[in-house]
Amino acid sequence: MLRSLRRAADRRRQINGRYGWLFNPYTGDELVAIDCETTGLDPRTAELVSLAAVCIKGDRVLTSGALDLRLQRPASLGADSIKIHGLRGVDLNDGLPVDEALEALLDFIGNRPLLGWCVDFDIAVINHHLRPRLGFDLPNATVDLAQEYRRRMRRTQPQVEPHMAFESVARSLKVPLMQRHTALGDAVTTALMYVRLKQGACEAV
Amino acid sequence: MMVDIDLSQAPFSLLDEAGRQRVRRGVDLAYYDTDEIILDAGQTGEHVFLIHKGEVAELDTATTERIGHYTAGDLFGAISILNGQSRYRFIAEQESLCYLLPRSLFETLCREYPVFADYFRQSLTDKSRLLTERRTAGGITMAGFMLARVAECMREPRLIDADASIAEAALRLREIGADSLLVAADGRYGMLTKTDLLDGLIGQSLDRATPVLGIAHFPLITVRPDDYLFQALIAMTRHEVERVVVVEGEQPVGVVELTDVLSFFSSRSYTVSLELEQAEDLDALARASARLPGLVKALMAQGVKLRFAMELLAALNGRIISKAFDLTVPAEHHQDSCLMVMGSEGRGEQILKTDQDNGLILADGADWPGRAEQMDRFIERLLTLGYPRCPGNIMVSNPQWVDSLGGWRQRIDRWAERRDGEALMNLAILLDAHAVAGNPALLESLREALFARCSHDELLLSHFARPVLSFSTPLTLFGSLKRPTHGIDIKKGGIFPIVHGVRTLALERRIRPTSTLARLDALVADGRLEAEFAADLGEALSLFAELRLNQQLARLEDTGKPEGDANLVVVQRLSTLERDLLREALHLVKEFKQRLSYRFHLEYS
Repeated sequence: MLRSLRRAADRRRQINGRYGWLFNPYTGDELVAIDCETTGLDPRTAELVSLAAVCIKGDRVLTSGALDLRLQRPASLGADSIKIHGLRGVDLNDGLPVDEALEALLDFIGNRPLLGWCVDFDIAVINHHLRPRLGFDLPNATVDLAQEYRRRMRRTQPQVEPHMAFESVARSLKVPLMQRHTALGDAVTTALMYVRLKQGACEAV
Repeated sequence: MMVDIDLSQAPFSLLDEAGRQRVRRGVDLAYYDTDEIILDAGQTGEHVFLIHKGEVAELDTATTERIGHYTAGDLFGAISILNGQSRYRFIAEQESLCYLLPRSLFETLCREYPVFADYFRQSLTDKSRLLTERRTAGGITMAGFMLARVAECMREPRLIDADASIAEAALRLREIGADSLLVAADGRYGMLTKTDLLDGLIGQSLDRATPVLGIAHFPLITVRPDDYLFQALIAMTRHEVERVVVVEGEQPVGVVELTDVLSFFSSRSYTVSLELEQAEDLDALARASARLPGLVKALMAQGVKLRFAMELLAALNGRIISKAFDLTVPAEHHQDSCLMVMGSEGRGEQILKTDQDNGLILADGADWPGRAEQMDRFIERLLTLGYPRCPGNIMVSNPQWVDSLGGWRQRIDRWAERRDGEALMNLAILLDAHAVAGNPALLESLREALFARCSHDELLLSHFARPVLSFSTPLTLFGSLKRPTHGIDIKKGGIFPIVHGVRTLALERRIRPTSTLARLDALVADGRLEAEFAADLGEALSLFAELRLNQQLARLEDTGKPEGDANLVVVQRLSTLERDLLREALHLVKEFKQRLSYRFHLEYS
């Protein structure tokens, strides 16, 4: 409710601006899987380390046109998060400034719906950076794969409590894990899992 | 880049790193559900598919026949792009994750990398040739030959005075066993060949006493000792001669003959056999024998067909054993005894030295005191020559494998009567026996007796054929290769069924040759097998043997000794091409087994 109100306000403000087209309803059949690696798990303080987006069209995951961005070293980059995504300060030396990265991301996703694993977190982190700079939140429709999977499992196998870790869901959908904990790898794995889920594959682990 | 795509195999190995990087950046991913049609017959090909995971079947929609089967790492759809549309239907047999290489990128790569394009234009036979050629080009061995110098391959110059007569020259040639002489005349040198002598005597009707100066050729065609050997070859070709003289300054220091160059290029097989023939004692023999593995490797690197390599090696091994026998056994016993080699050695199918399997036939009533000690010494000598003892003790030092002709006949009767596992194995071993030293007539009459006793005994033949079925062919229900992590046993799954099946047929049809390939030829001539099927079986056997040999050679390089089980082939390590060939060969084995079990009624027990 709050979100739709906010979106309506954003839209009115942006309607004649550069990003007005993002608020148009989407009529195509594509989806964009996104994932970002961040410096922490709290969306209010976490900063972006890398961003990836890959387009899904029907059965295909268009990895050839994927977006894979690395950002400039954020101030809060610490040992804990480096252990997970493996991107050290040095690795981010030639990273993009946040403004440019966000622009590239917006141009890539357009008004297509976004897909992600617990996508709300990613959106929250992105919005946290987007609003101060451009004055609006991502208006795109979202699909959360974790939720979709849980829903599907409840419908097909109500007696089983699904195991909701990313890895075990991938295993149950028979999707090989692409490079885990890189933004692009996770985005592609998520995209593949979505394709599989649409095809109706579902087995208990 | 994130895509975990293996581009180290053909055809991508034909690209350079930049090309592979473009493939990595250019592919998309697609997931296909079981039974989903990936590419239908008649559709235009828009992608090349590379399977990351899963299995895909290729079906002919007209006849519903299975054309092919693809699994992880395999590639399909390229031909459809080249032909404009797909001839067959590709359908996912399991859920399959494929990389999709777009048509435009594929075509660009084909344009920019002709080798890459060639790979797809060729049929399977061409592909195997490509494989061989690549192996040749990749092998350092060939480079070794190309870089050989004249000095490594020249003979001593044989000189004769200019005023010597034709008769003297002919005598001299005969003495030294050469084809040519150098004629020295006041500081100049000329060439005199056998052909020149013939021409002089017959063509020009010269007298035997005519001096050779008149018929020798001046001036000489020369090379220098540090020239490359192929330059000598070029000189010979250009001047249409068969020998050139090596000069240093003005002095001739050697002669290079065409045959020398050719045998040098054909991996020195000729020189090994020459060295072998000239060996006068055990040490020289051991030296020659130690050169065999190198010879094998060189032959393989040059892509010599395995069949010919096997024949050559069998002949050389036979000569070594025969020489060792001659050196050990006094000449008076040669006539009334026959040394036979058995097993793979008898069939001439061992490439690297394996165990010694040998036996001795004595003429009836032969008297040979001290035989046992001599046989022990013979075995010891073979051991020093690099032939390990037979673990089954099938050796002439074992009285079980030494007997008179009459004794052997009784044994055959006994074995044929008993028909138990051991007896049948002994019969099979004896059937492959090949005479290498002594009097071969003894073995021939023994073989005659064996055929007379066994070839009409249907019950015996049926028992004899049964082991063919004792190992299953390593193919899955769907006709693709099984791929256990420790590898599939190609000896049990491929080589043994062919060898033993052909052996059984040979026993039935009384076929004398012992090598499997020769037996196959004879069975075709006999009408027992169709020529095409026999040729395919032969090819399959060569493929198995080659795979095994490659592993043996690799082990030889690693450890210095052929250790471990070279029969285990890990399918995952083979290239797609080799995998295709192996699969087809195993299908042939399966068909052969079916034919045999039909012919010898093996399905009933």
